[in-house]
Order: sequence, then structure tokens, then C-alpha cells
Amino acid sequence: MGSVKVDQLTKEFAGVKALNNVNLDIQEGEFFALLGPSGCGKTTTMRCIAGFEQPTTGTILIGDKAVNKIPPNRRNCGMVFQSYALFPHMNVFENVAYSLNIKQLNSSNVISQAGIYLRLLNRKFGKYPKDIEKKVMEILEYVELDRYATRLTSELSGGQQQRVALARALVMEPAVLLMDEPLSNLDQKLRHSMRNTIRRIQQDLGITTIFVTHDQEEAMSMADRVAVMDHGEVMQIGTPTDLYSRPATPFIANFVGTSNMLKGTVVDEVDGLSIIKGDGFQLRSSQTSTKKEVDVIIRPENIKVYKADRVPSDASNLLEGDIVVSTYLGSIVRYDVQIGNYQLVVDTTYSSGESILAAGEKIKMSIEPERVLLI
Amino acid sequence: MNKLKDAFNGLTLVKALIYLFFIIFMLLPLFSVFLVSFTGQPINLLGSLTDPKILSSTIEKFQGASIESYTSMLQNSSYGSALKNSLGLALLVALIVILVCIPIAYGIARTTMPFKKTISALCTIPLIVPTFISAYAFIIMFGRAGWVTHIWQSLGFEGMLINPYSMTGIVLVQVFFFFPYALWPMVAAFKVSDVTLEEASQNLGAKNWFTFVFVTFPLAIPGVISSALLIFTVSFSDFGTPIILAPSNLNLLVVEAYREIAGFFNWGGAAILTVVMVLVAAFFFWLQHLFTKGKNYGSVSGKPKVQKLNDNKVLTRVITVYSGFLVLIPLLAMLSITLQSFATTWGKDPLPNGYTLDHYKTIFTSSMGNIQNSIILALGALALSVVIATFVSYFVVRQNSTKLDFLTSIPLVVPGIAFGIALIQTFNTAPLHLTGTALLLILAYTIRRLPYMVRSTMGTMRSIKQDVEEAAINLGATPLTAAITIIGPLMLPGIAAGSVLVFITVIKETSISILLAPAEWAPMSLAIFQNILRGEYYTAAAMSIVLVVLVLILQAIANRMSARNPN
Repeated sequence: MGSVKVDQLTKEFAGVKALNNVNLDIQEGEFFALLGPSGCGKTTTMRCIAGFEQPTTGTILIGDKAVNKIPPNRRNCGMVFQSYALFPHMNVFENVAYSLNIKQLNSSNVISQAGIYLRLLNRKFGKYPKDIEKKVMEILEYVELDRYATRLTSELSGGQQQRVALARALVMEPAVLLMDEPLSNLDQKLRHSMRNTIRRIQQDLGITTIFVTHDQEEAMSMADRVAVMDHGEVMQIGTPTDLYSRPATPFIANFVGTSNMLKGTVVDEVDGLSIIKGDGFQLRSSQTSTKKEVDVIIRPENIKVYKADRVPSDASNLLEGDIVVSTYLGSIVRYDVQIGNYQLVVDTTYSSGESILAAGEKIKMSIEPERVLLI
Repeated sequence: MNKLKDAFNGLTLVKALIYLFFIIFMLLPLFSVFLVSFTGQPINLLGSLTDPKILSSTIEKFQGASIESYTSMLQNSSYGSALKNSLGLALLVALIVILVCIPIAYGIARTTMPFKKTISALCTIPLIVPTFISAYAFIIMFGRAGWVTHIWQSLGFEGMLINPYSMTGIVLVQVFFFFPYALWPMVAAFKVSDVTLEEASQNLGAKNWFTFVFVTFPLAIPGVISSALLIFTVSFSDFGTPIILAPSNLNLLVVEAYREIAGFFNWGGAAILTVVMVLVAAFFFWLQHLFTKGKNYGSVSGKPKVQKLNDNKVLTRVITVYSGFLVLIPLLAMLSITLQSFATTWGKDPLPNGYTLDHYKTIFTSSMGNIQNSIILALGALALSVVIATFVSYFVVRQNSTKLDFLTSIPLVVPGIAFGIALIQTFNTAPLHLTGTALLLILAYTIRRLPYMVRSTMGTMRSIKQDVEEAAINLGATPLTAAITIIGPLMLPGIAAGSVLVFITVIKETSISILLAPAEWAPMSLAIFQNILRGEYYTAAAMSIVLVVLVLILQAIANRMSARNPN
């Protein structure tokens, strides 16, 4: 087990910067997600850690040891590939046993090496030692695949293949577990249950895990901390709640959850509250900003909606608008509300029996100053 | 760390060795034959590197170099007429093959013609038979004592229906035995236009024939032209047919080159002819490449194309009868050879006078050596090409080594007789005196047939995703271990399929065998050739049948393998 430190990592492909000064400090036992749109450099970062790409500059440390010069086959990073990359000519057992065979290969003399090679080429050519067999079956049991040990991987379902890939990476007891979009090939339902499985195993084993994904929901629901990347740079690192409630940039605000974004100017500060004026609105925020021109971020669920005649007296940041679209989504109702030149998205929880406001209705809205984010 | 370094160095070393192999045994001979075409005398490039005396004589020869031989060739000497005849022959064959193939290709691609499967299967027969055997079969049929001639004369006509010993004879053999090379690309070309286009045409008011002429056919034209160029190159490089059938007054490049080298040891002349042959073949190969580039018929989108098949009864029946006739000729040719191989004597009659197994007995007693030689030589070439092709495809696919890719496709362009002459010229003296050894023969076979192997292994290599290899490395394997335990086993189907192809083509190989094989290593093809020259027709026929049966068996194995692995 080990921590992972990525220090000023830069990677160029043919003069084009794929990674620009990436810094990560991942704690031992942490579940760390690299989140970003495709082409943002998250996979390149992971491949640098695994050793499949050589950094142009920068160092990578696994458990305090610089690994830049260590070849990928000696880094002890278990990796789960997006396509799983299972060996198609081997059955489940042999796939999982592969790394153990290699380990034995490296620690034996020429004659037993030949035996291991033969065993690797065809299962008929040799018996597996008891300890390897025991270890493989244990891990297969752990991922609930022990019944499938002799199946070819092509005979398994997507979720099962995924678990073989996971078992194969785990059996080598890696210092770090790397997962490259492991859930992207699964259907919606399976993805949810695999999320839980992966998270449970990670917690059980306490293994440092780096998880690459473009799905913010996946990253937010599984990871201890998330690094959001864009254009080869790390935009923000934080816990899921951090990222959601304090996005560092408009990009993150948009990428992590839905948000309303307004352009405004800080005109005054009264009682520790900033007063922001914009096109057709004035808002107070408990945040202060060093800049004058700010992006105002408001999450849809932080806007309260009232019929025009039922506004409570203590409501703050009162706004008025017209409903353009009203969408019933089961547990919530989503309104698109026109205020001046802006169209805001507003989510209200819905409990049965309530009436839903219709398009065209005039409404009032309030937002607590703590929920008005300034970037 | 050291282990990785070793593996890395190991692969780099292998790459260097492969380059060295191609440089010494392919580029050097071709280059030195190019030089000889100017000096007019044999030169020893390898020797010049090792021995100063040879070097000085080489320099002397260069001082006498001139383009005189080329200019005299242009001035209507026998070489000039050979070039003209060869070009004319290839052009004629290409044109006729295309015209002949259009109805069958259309029939197979776009109609519900009866017996489609049978005819498709029969169309592969001509590809199995080495051309000098086909040419010889034509003699049995159309020659002075041929059974067709007999029927022709008993119908009251004079002379022969066709004189096989003529340009007409050569053209006919090549047309009937090369048309399958063009047929399948043309079938693919006719499948390009899909039903929506044709329905659009009909929707706009066009009649069926109008749609064919102005929609279906124009879309097929690039494919048709590319097929024509392919046939041109195949016909131009063919040695087997002309060497058997060309009359003494018909000059053809391949025959002329062979005579210069085997008859007169005229190095300068042979070199010029070789250079001309390579240039012409390369030019047309390049043209063909130009036409097929970027046109990946049929396999582009995942959406299956819907094809409307023409089921007009009259049309489909006419096409079937016509196709039947076309495949009947090669079939009859093979039948004639089979009959001849069992005949006691076969004079000017429709059928042999009697039947016997003596000729086969003769072969299996006195000519067993030739069969053994063929198999040993083919196995040697096979082993060498498996090793080279596997590594070449690894370097091309994984390390994107386009130079190596180019190098391995050069043999496709060089006519066999030209390559043979280049090898003899380069290796007939020290330091690498290989002419007349089985080794040079194996090397020549290997290089000549390597493209088939590489194509096959490269296909499987491409289908193995990079991340499978990375997964192995991630799990602790060195690149070499990953290659042995993961890549190797996954490539086996491709290697096996390529192997059979190499084996078959080596056994069929004519020009290289005739030029390079020493007497004690004569393979079957050379033995048949010599038997025909000596007039021992019956044993030649029997040996031909043995060869064809051997090829058939291997082909069947290959088909079964490729059916299991659709690569």
C-alpha cells in the first residue's frame, strides 16, 4: 500500500501539451477520482502513474519512492482497463493467476521457468502450485466468481468480466489500484451496483485507489476526494461536497452538478454581505470576492419558489420571474424561469398532492445569501 | 530494470537483423542488377567491400559504364520488341479478363443466378494450378495431337482450332487461369452501390438497364480499373505460360531474360531486361495502389447494406450458362492432364488408348526426391517467413515502422524471373557464394512469398488490442514475456493461415525454381518443367497431378482454418 504523489507533471505529445503542471497528493488508502471531460488528460495522468507514458518533466512518487525510471512491469500498480483487457485465450482462473505466475517466474531457476512458461501457454502443460491456486480462488470468491473459474472470459457478462479484471489487479496486492473508466461499458443498473461493489472492496482492503471517470455522479458518489481536470490542468481538488458547494471556476460549477450562472458586479458591502448587481437582478451574498466583476453561481435546489402572493416576510434576495417550462421529474419539479435576460433552472421538491405551477405563471423566488456563490 | 533493458535490446537487435536480411538479400541484388545494366558486366558489390582487388576491378567496370545498352534497346532491337510484346500481351489479357468478368461478377454480386455457389467454388480452380501446367494442359487439348484438334478436324475443318504455340495461345491460357484474380475484387465493386441509390434512380424515372449503366456500373469503375491493373501486373510477370508456349519468333521479356541468363550468360542483357521488368511492374502496381487507396469497399460502416438482387429468369440463366463455360475450360484442362497421367499412350484421339498407373509408379520410385525437395524447401521458407513476418508485423503495428512495411511489400512488385536473375548475379562469387545452394533457393522463396505471410500476421496483430499487452506488463511481465505468453498465442491463427498460403505458393513457384534450383535440390515444379522439355509428357502429367493434389489438400486445410478464424 502506498501514497501517490504527482509533482509538476507535464507531458507533451509531438509538442502538444497533454498535461500541464499536474500536482496531486493522494493519501494512503484514499479513494481518489480524476474527473473531467474526454481529452482533459485524466487518462494520460493515470498512464504516467502506471508507467505506460514517460512524463516530459515532473516526478511521480509511489510510497515516497520516485518511480519515473522504474518500468511499468515493476511498479506494482494494479490496473483495471476500460476495455478490461482480459486475456482472451485464458480462462478466468488463468487470467487472475497471471501475475502470480510472473512473480514465480522472476524468482525461480531456468528449468522451473520453462515449466511456468509452458503452463502459461497451455493449461494442459502443468499444474498450478497449491499456494497460487488458493490465492486465486480466494480472490475469485471475494468477487463472487469462484463458480466461473474455468470459464473463458468471453463467456461472461459485462459485469462479471469487470470483476475478473478487478480480481486480476487485486491478486497481485498492488501498492495502488488504478481504474480507467471501469464502469463505462456497463449498463445503467449494473453501473450502480458495481459502484457499490468497488467502493466496498476499496474500503475493505483499504487500498489506495485512483479512479478515472468523465461521469461526475460516479466520481462524487464514490471518491473521498476528486480532482477536476480540464485541458491538461488540474482545476480543483477537493471532497465531493467541497466541489459542489465551493466550485473554484465556472467550468467546475457547470461540470459538477447543474448550476445557474449570472454575470454581476460587486457594488457594495453591507454587514459582511456583498451586494451584486447584474442585468435585471440584485443579490446579496455572504461571500466576498477580490474581483469586482464576478460570476454568480446558484444551484437549482437552493432557490425557493413562492406564488406571487405568498412570500414569507423573512425571505431574502427576492426575485420575480415567469415560468417558461415546468417539468415534473418525480421527486422534484424543475422550472425554467425567465428573469430579465436570464433563464434560471429551479428545482423544488415535490410531495404528492401539491399542485405544480404551470408555464406562464408569475412567481417570486428567494435565495439565502449563504447559497449565492461568487467566483 | 536490467531485464527490461535486455528485452528492449533484444527487440532492437531483431529489428536490425531483419533490416540487414532485407538489405543483403533483396535490396543489394536489385541494386547490383541495376548497376550491371549499365556496366554490361557482372559486378561484385559484397566482394568490393571485403577485397581491394575486386574493388578496383569494380571501379574499372564503372568507368566503362554507359547507357548505350538502354539506347540500343529503344532502337528496335530484340529487347525493344520483347518489351512491346510483353506490354501488348499484358494489356490484351487485362482487357479481355475485365470484359469476360463483368457478367460473372455482376451475376455473383447482384443476381439470384442458379448454381452461384458451385460456380464460385469452381472459379478457384485456376488459382490452384501453376501456369506452366495450365499451359501444358492447353497443348494436350489444342496441340497438333490434342483431342480438341481431333474433334475440330473430324468436323471437317483444316488445321487446329487454336494454335497453342502462339500469342493467341498465351493470351487464352492467361485469361482462363488469371480471371479469378479479377473476379473477386470486381464482385466487391459491384456491391458498392446499394439498393437505396438504385431505388433513388428508379424513383427518378430510370429504367433498370439505365440504372445499371449510369449508377451501378460507374460506382464499380474504380474497382474494375484496379482489377485490370492487377491482371496486367500478374500477366506481365508470368513466366510459366510464355516459357512453355512462346514460339521462337515471339519475343517476350520474361523468356528473353531467361534465355540470356540460362543460355548465353549475358549478364548485361539480362540485367537490362530485369530492370525494365521491375520498373514496369512497379509502375503498374503503384497505379493499382493509387486506385484502391482510400476505397475500402463494403466494410466501412457497421450498417449492413441492403442489396436488391436481380431475379430476371432469362438474364440469370444466360449468366449461369456463360459462367459455366468459362470455368469449364480450366476444368477440362485439368481433366486432360489427369487423363494423360493415366494413359498408356494418347495420340491423336479423343481418349487415351489405354490406362495405367505406371507413370505414378515411376514418380513414386524415381522422382520421390523431387517431392521431398519441394516439401523440405517449402518448410524451410515457411519457418523463415514465420519468424520474420511475426516480428515485422509487431514492429509495423506496435512501433509504427512504416519503412519495414514498405520493405516487405517490395517482393510483390518484383517479377519472379527478375528477382531470380538479381540473386544469381549477386551471389555467384565469394564472399557470399550462394548460387546453386538450397539456402539461396529458400531465401528467394521466403522473400518472394513473405508479403502473404506478413499480410496474414499483420491482420491478427492489429486485432490484438494494445491494452491486452499493457495489461500483461502491468501485471509484472516484461515485454518479452508478454510477447511469448500473450501476443504469441493470440497470433497463432494468423500465423497458421499465412503458413499454408506460403507453403502452397512455394510449391507452385516456377520461375525461381527453374532459375535457382541446383540439380540435387530440384523441386517438383522444376522436375515437371524438365520433363516437358524432354518430352516425357506422361510423367510430367502425373507429377502435375501430385502437385495439384498436394496444393488442394493444403488449400482445404487453410479454408477450414480461416473459416474458424475470420481474420
